[in-house]
Amino acid sequence: MSSDKKTAVLETIYQALRTLNEERGPDDQIAIGPDTCLFGEGSALDSLSLVSVIVDLETAVSDQFGKPISLTDDKAMSRDPVPFTDVTALKTYILELLA
Amino acid sequence: MRYAGKIVLVTGARRGVGRLLAEHFLREGAQVIGFSRHADDDLVAEGYTPMAVDVGDAESVARGFEQVRKTLGRVDIVINNAAVLTSQYSMIMPPAAARGMLETNLFGTFLVSREAAKLMRKGKWGRIINIGSMAASLEPIGDSVYAATKAAVATLANVMAKEFAPLNITCNTLGITAIETDMLGQLPRDKVDAVIKGLPLPRYATADDICNVVDFFASERSSYVTAQTIFLGGVN
Repeated sequence: MSSDKKTAVLETIYQALRTLNEERGPDDQIAIGPDTCLFGEGSALDSLSLVSVIVDLETAVSDQFGKPISLTDDKAMSRDPVPFTDVTALKTYILELLA
Repeated sequence: MRYAGKIVLVTGARRGVGRLLAEHFLREGAQVIGFSRHADDDLVAEGYTPMAVDVGDAESVARGFEQVRKTLGRVDIVINNAAVLTSQYSMIMPPAAARGMLETNLFGTFLVSREAAKLMRKGKWGRIINIGSMAASLEPIGDSVYAATKAAVATLANVMAKEFAPLNITCNTLGITAIETDMLGQLPRDKVDAVIKGLPLPRYATADDICNVVDFFASERSSYVTAQTIFLGGVN
């Protein structure tokens, strides 16, 4: 797996989170980094925000890498833990799907 | 022109109620995308884009919306009209026919609505209108699966109305009565006449009856109207 691809996927996730931050108030901003918790205990995202991030990511990854991906198919949802726990886990899962 | 600048997607646009609604939106200045299972949509009009999409097929729907996103960038109003009907006693209903109704009428409405919401959420505005049926309320013999799917699309709209409300997307259902379409031709006319005769307003629906309620649900002023089902003809 090239480091360029890893960097590009990570940046795509960050961009989805930045887009989310644009819709949130100044006191409600999400701190964006590799450990940002996306799902479960400690997550700053409500369920609709997570859905928005997933939808943005599916579109952006498909556009950028020319391969449609689904982040919420049966395979994703049956993983333990689910691949949305934090940014790094999500990046790893997306790279798997693109491999 | 009521819909100037709006992009409207109508499923099952090749004929029947879908065709009359596509033509209505075009007359009112909208840009209209018509989803039809077959690529032989013969409507030629400025602002009309026919697309061969099988609404019951998730990949086909995803491809259709991908094309919409890349060419038009958004969709404002969606009319979930595509439906198939086989009327038959349950004990002899062919399973394939029953499955076909579930896939087109219910699963198709689900797939199209969710893909539409993904596009609508960016603009924080959307109207999703499902075409239901009097069958959902009157529950006529022979229409077990069809009536169930039409009841289900109203429930689907009601739940989606809650999910999409923060995105300023409304979801409503219009329960139509019988209107002169190809679908009506599949039913015994004397039985349909008897059903219509029993309605509080005992006549067949007109195109204007349908457009009137669709316009109401689609209007800017209806932003506070969601998760509602309106039946024509006095059905409730």
